[in-house]
Amino acid sequence: MPPSDPDCLVIGAGPAGLAAAHALVNTGVGSILVVDRDETPGGLPQYCRHLGFGWGYTHRLETGPAFTRRLLGAIQHPSLRLLARTTATAIRPGPAVDLLGPECGVITLHPRAVIVATGIRERPRAARLVPGSRPERGVMTTGQLQQMVARGVPVPGRRLAVVGTEHVAFSVLLTARHAGQRVVAMVEPDERVASYAALAAIVRHAARIPIHVGTRVVNILGGRQVEGIEIDGPSGPARIPCDSVVFSGDFIPDSVLAQASGIAIDPRTRGPVVDQHGRTDMPGVFAAGNVLRAVESSGFSAIEGARVGTCVAAYLGGSATAWCAASRPVEAAPDFDYVVPQRWTTDDGRLPAIPFSLRVRTTGAPIPIAVKIGDRVVWSDAARRRRPHRRIGIPQGPIARAAGDATCIEVCTTL
Amino acid sequence: MTGAYDVAIIGAGVVGCAIARAFSRYRLKVVVLEADTDIGNGASKGNSAVLSTASDTPSGTLEQQLVKRGHALYRAEAPSLGLPIENLGSLTIAWNETEAETVRAMQLAMIADGFHEAELVGPDAIYRRIPALAPGAVAAVWEAEEAIVDPFSTPLAYALDALANGVDIRCSTPVTGAHFEDRQWHLATPGGEFVASLAINCGGLYGDRVDALGGNHEIKIKPRRGEFIVFDKSARGLLDVILKPVANSLGRGILLTPTVFGNILVGPTAEQVDDPDDWRCTTEGLAALQAAAKRTLPGLLAHEITTTYCGLRPGSDRPEYRIVVRGDKRWITVAGIRSTGLSAALGIAEYIVAQAMDGLVRADQKAEIVSIRVPALWERGPRPARDPTCVGRDARYGEVICHCEQVSHGEIEDALASPLPPRSLKALKRRTRAMFGRCQGFFCGARVTAMLDRSLSPEPRHAAE
Ligand SMILES: Cc1cc2nc3c(=O)[nH]c(=O)nc-3n(C[C@H](O)[C@H](O)[C@H](O)COP(=O)(O)OP(=O)(O)OC[C@H]3O[C@@H](n4cnc5c(N)ncnc54)[C@H](O)[C@@H]3O)c2cc1C
Ligand SMILES: Cc1cc2nc3c(=O)[nH]c(=O)nc-3n(C[C@H](O)[C@H](O)[C@H](O)COP(=O)(O)OP(=O)(O)OC[C@H]3O[C@@H](n4cnc5c(N)ncnc54)[C@H](O)[C@@H]3O)c2cc1C
Repeated sequence: MPPSDPDCLVIGAGPAGLAAAHALVNTGVGSILVVDRDETPGGLPQYCRHLGFGWGYTHRLETGPAFTRRLLGAIQHPSLRLLARTTATAIRPGPAVDLLGPECGVITLHPRAVIVATGIRERPRAARLVPGSRPERGVMTTGQLQQMVARGVPVPGRRLAVVGTEHVAFSVLLTARHAGQRVVAMVEPDERVASYAALAAIVRHAARIPIHVGTRVVNILGGRQVEGIEIDGPSGPARIPCDSVVFSGDFIPDSVLAQASGIAIDPRTRGPVVDQHGRTDMPGVFAAGNVLRAVESSGFSAIEGARVGTCVAAYLGGSATAWCAASRPVEAAPDFDYVVPQRWTTDDGRLPAIPFSLRVRTTGAPIPIAVKIGDRVVWSDAARRRRPHRRIGIPQGPIARAAGDATCIEVCTTL
Repeated sequence: MTGAYDVAIIGAGVVGCAIARAFSRYRLKVVVLEADTDIGNGASKGNSAVLSTASDTPSGTLEQQLVKRGHALYRAEAPSLGLPIENLGSLTIAWNETEAETVRAMQLAMIADGFHEAELVGPDAIYRRIPALAPGAVAAVWEAEEAIVDPFSTPLAYALDALANGVDIRCSTPVTGAHFEDRQWHLATPGGEFVASLAINCGGLYGDRVDALGGNHEIKIKPRRGEFIVFDKSARGLLDVILKPVANSLGRGILLTPTVFGNILVGPTAEQVDDPDDWRCTTEGLAALQAAAKRTLPGLLAHEITTTYCGLRPGSDRPEYRIVVRGDKRWITVAGIRSTGLSAALGIAEYIVAQAMDGLVRADQKAEIVSIRVPALWERGPRPARDPTCVGRDARYGEVICHCEQVSHGEIEDALASPLPPRSLKALKRRTRAMFGRCQGFFCGARVTAMLDRSLSPEPRHAAE
């Protein structure tokens, strides 16, 4: 049966979309449709069989599939329909959403509200401009590796080299073991490991996997198959024989749908611009999860989804407005990579707000952080060394209290 | 093995496929012997995809004649094969007075060569056409006739057409030896010997080695590497024309052009290499491309890079096509089809058939021609997953597997079941565009690989056949 116009259409059934759907069900929204273009719902965690998912949202660490099952179990409700293998191809003002799927065919729905929760992807090898040969197998992103392993598609050879040291790179180690692969090296272009030092120490000393920091991959060797990589770093050029290379991390929001639909995109996050309730500049269209920025954990994304879901329920119930032009910009100094949310609306103070994510681009000299509204510093944090890939949280309370008369909320590096 | 053929074509690049198709119009037994697992996996797999006018090839040469003719034939025949032509036109831009001088001379030469539509334009017209162009352009030649085409579906269309009209196409069949006996060529391959009364060498990057098998040693192939960067479709709005620099002694320079798939392409570089299998992208090449992008269309760098690739031009030791008809030895060499072969292929094919008919083979034209169409991969054209009736009729076209390029389950299955089925991921990508988009397989790589592997596994499909 083709779906009819729902009160809320959730696009993307990853942690953010599913947690949003759960909040909508809980608040008694009449009809909810969740679509996901993948074969099965769950988003990225469904393919990660190791522990590490859901923390913060569930107060326990689970495997990706277990967390997915929990999220899916929680939304079983007569008011909710979930359609997998269904792609949202366009969002237009109204809102109107074009869907494409084997069950629904090509249709346009007119939901009262839309939540865009389309998640992230990793930048592939080519986008990182890594030279060398281009074997047709054996060069992939973590996301692809994880799906290959989960689906039982063979990964070439036994020896794997991993590029990048964000948390997800360590996820490769666990997945590799699952697939009977041995990680022969990790290569990090930055001067230090992006993930936790403790994790790196375990990998180096217990697992005896060399981690080359300050090192670039300058060549991929091989013709039809990967034969190795050439690296260049502090200890000079070297060759590492391997059968596959995994390019991990370097995430980017998968915001193509929002962008192509004319929703305002923040050039710094490359995700949609939202206020603290997840409202985009297209009335009735909200966004949550890692589509807002790369990258937060699955638990964080789920919390964000749940909060935006609650806001959408309020919007549908008439107790909250759509995006309003009177919202104030939240502006982060150039030292920062980005800040989310990018707008702050003062008239809906009783709605839950999504947590701030603020990030620096590179590890530099220690910097303080001050949030200024007009001339007033409403919150500050002493100078310290900030690391990229680590979320810098800003409490919302002081901002909510002072934002009423602001024209702009500035996140600065001077107190 | 199989009885004798009238014509054996060695190499199924765009040139070999076009020649096979041209011969298929006659009552002849024709075989194409291709070393690779797929057609079009040599020089033909990596080019700029510009249907050029030949206005910049040396005046009065066979190359210019064949590109001109190939271009005209492409316009006449491509649409019925389902091949898109996007008529963007090109601007060759001068950035200083010296280049402006060259551009003015170029335009006069083009007119003299019969390219009457070549027009000299000034900065106003240039910036009206490309508002995002870097400042400083002083003059340009505008050529309305230059267009962009689908480089992968083109050889495929020629091959499928040839196949439908009786040509035998053998992939994974490298010719490893040749001897001439009783006016017939005996071509050795790992799969046995093929006998043909006319052999045509379309070996591309291996043109000299194939020629040597036939006892001809005068041509030396000198591959020239050309690297490219493909920018994300989000950049397409920046450019709606083929942008060329003024050619200099180093070559034609780096173009910026949209592709029919909706990306922006920057390339190629030009570098002599020794190894015809050296398909590497280089640090220097990629840096040169980024610099060219920054210089010409600075806004481009704000967009994501989708992929990089490298092509090898099958140039030779002379700056021209090396087409040699050896009537006594019943051997035709079609080599050195350096940087215009995509545009010229139909012209080359017509020319070769005419040469062969001039005493080397004799046959009547067929009364009935079977026509084929390739699946449309054109970004701006109809695609199954965008067509409600198509999706309504067959739900497989509603299930998108490759999200970046919006390729459906049905399209991938169709490609796998086609008369020239892909035998590698690269071949499947060229047929469908799956995994060719911005995520390069992050989302769909595992599923697409599994579908291909299933079709390659010897069990169900082949046992049933
Ligand atoms: C390899 C890997 C390992 C990770 N390991 C961990 C870990 O150990 N712990 C942890 O907490 N986090 C981990 N993460 C991060 C975690 O997966 C993400 O934080 C989380 O999945 C984000 O949730 P999301 O809902 O925002 O997006 P996603 O999970 O990306 O879900 C987005 C969904 O939207 C769908 N979609 C996209 N576009 C459309 C469209 N147009 N129409 C329909 N559907 C669409 C997609 O199919 C997808 O299912 C990992 C990520 C990766 C890639
Ligand atoms: C960077 C670059 C940019 C270009 N841009 C354009 C453009 O914009 N417009 C344009 O018109 N042209 C362009 N070209 C040129 C065009 O791509 C070539 O001219 C054309 O592809 C040459 O085709 P071919 O069939 O001669 O060679 P190939 O495609 O190399 O075909 C030769 C085939 O022979 C096979 N073979 C070799 N040895 C044997 C053997 N012993 N037995 C059996 N098979 C064998 C090979 O496997 C191969 O498939 C460009 C080329 C490059 C490299």
